[in-house]
Amino acid sequence: MPHKASGELTRRQFVTGAAAAAGTAALTGCGAPRIAEPSLVSIARAPQYGQEIYQTVRGLLARHGLNVRGRNVLLKPNLVEFEPESSINTNPLLVHAVYEGFRELGANVRIAEGPGHRRNTFDLADAAGYFNVVPQFEDVFVDLNLDDVSRVRPARQVSTLSAWYLPNTALGADLLVSIPKMKTHHWVGATLSAKNLFGLIPGAVYGWPKNPLHWAGIDESIADLHNLFPRQFAIVDGIVGMEGNGPIQGKPKPAGVLVAGRDRMAVDATCCRIMGIDPLKVRYLNLAAGGDAPIQERNIRQDGESIASVATNFALLPQFQHLRLGSGA
Amino acid sequence: MSIESLKQRQNPDGGWPYRRGASWTEPSAYAVLALLAAGENGAAARGAAWLRAEQRSDGGFPPQPGVQISGWTTALAALLPPDLLGRESHARAIEWLLQSSGKESTWSYRVRAWLLGGSTDSDSGWAWAPNAAAWVGPTALAVVSLQKEAERRTSPRLRERIALGQRFLMDRMCSGGGWNYGNSRVLDEDLRPYPETTGMALAALRGETSPRLAQAVGVAAKFLAECRSADAWNWLRLGLHGHAGLPAECLRTARFESRTTPEAALDLLAANPQSFFGDSHAA
Repeated sequence: MPHKASGELTRRQFVTGAAAAAGTAALTGCGAPRIAEPSLVSIARAPQYGQEIYQTVRGLLARHGLNVRGRNVLLKPNLVEFEPESSINTNPLLVHAVYEGFRELGANVRIAEGPGHRRNTFDLADAAGYFNVVPQFEDVFVDLNLDDVSRVRPARQVSTLSAWYLPNTALGADLLVSIPKMKTHHWVGATLSAKNLFGLIPGAVYGWPKNPLHWAGIDESIADLHNLFPRQFAIVDGIVGMEGNGPIQGKPKPAGVLVAGRDRMAVDATCCRIMGIDPLKVRYLNLAAGGDAPIQERNIRQDGESIASVATNFALLPQFQHLRLGSGA
Repeated sequence: MSIESLKQRQNPDGGWPYRRGASWTEPSAYAVLALLAAGENGAAARGAAWLRAEQRSDGGFPPQPGVQISGWTTALAALLPPDLLGRESHARAIEWLLQSSGKESTWSYRVRAWLLGGSTDSDSGWAWAPNAAAWVGPTALAVVSLQKEAERRTSPRLRERIALGQRFLMDRMCSGGGWNYGNSRVLDEDLRPYPETTGMALAALRGETSPRLAQAVGVAAKFLAECRSADAWNWLRLGLHGHAGLPAECLRTARFESRTTPEAALDLLAANPQSFFGDSHAA
């Protein structure tokens, strides 16, 4: 199969990126900038992984009026380890609820992930419970580590990487739905819907882990990936998250929420506030958002539960104490 | 998966996909080795020709022809017999391996690390891709390739590079034995070993003995008994075989479904380790 020329994809992404940039530029008022059209972020209570989650997800999707009939929708959970009982992976029941929710909206839905450490993705998904929960999982799942790739250039380069090899399945999606676990992260503070995009990177090219991205700057690479995939939606699994030494060795942290929206930056900023983290101090959010305006609380239209009603401080490693909301650092 | 199914997966261009689609270096290299072991020389020769054609001007091999990067898959191409890959191509691949190392092994990085009080260890592994650190997986593969070359000719340069790579692996061993994919500790916490990386590291350390290695062999044997993936199963068998730690019944048994070409090919190779290692260490 021949490789696509990089120009095809960058042009399309450039147009979308330019539109997003224009929106960001439409700031109003004096002093602290306010975005003309605040992003809608929904917070839904979800105390446990039970059947009621299907209705909750259905409600979240309806609230955001997604028109995906006949479109290719790609769900990107966070699949890391062989441990269904831990809080490392996005819970398979939530992924299936999102899968069913988009199918009911008429979308062609697939699930895809490229784990960062373990090479045996299907076995990992099996052990993590995905085969049991998602019928015909193998038919709808794509291992992004081994997917065919195309070379693309970010319209706005932030990291030292001027070109990226990315999986065709992800590049061809009309909507990329990031479904991360709400976790702290020992290198960047928190891992949410934007950091979850690391799993799009093909291990067959970049390795396990995807170490060239670390050398290119983790924060900067997250920003590039965010900009490379602008057709987005996010649903964060905060039913049971992870605190402390995440994303693997931390402890389970029940937060009892799902957080959803069309704008990754706004969703992640809201999750940070729920976790007791100041998103304005999370470097990659500032880089990816192109400044702090999109992650300012005043520029996000909150829906459903209030942040205050569900907020619960996630334990932070000592080197990230300065991220704590209200720490003043 | 049988040899016949492996042959059926071969793309018209001579290479193999991971599952379906374009040909990639890794599945092609392992498939060629498995076919050679089965005496399927025609299909193997077509695969080797596809590999030879994708070699880059620096002597390295990209993961896929459209990827303009020489990286970890060079070690896999170099596992092929020189006569099959082409003597010149093979020699250039070996030379690329001899000149490659993780970014942390470069002179400038070590000077910087020394100035900052960091580690300046004299081990040296291989990276998955350029401009990145060395890791257990690509280091193990490169060491196995160079060992195979060292069986063919005597070379102090080869011997020294193999020793540096093996030192890297020994240094990264987890405290209780076995290997994570990189360091054994991060942020003052021990990392746990993984089955597949433990098998790979043991394969690269075959023939070596020490109490620490014996501990690692014990960890690998435990992993084998609890194994949950085809990839781990294959590498544990290859790793344990070189340390006389593989139960005979595990040589032939295909316990797991092979979902990818590398899993299928390595399953066949693990049942016939001589064809993978091609040396006197394999029993």
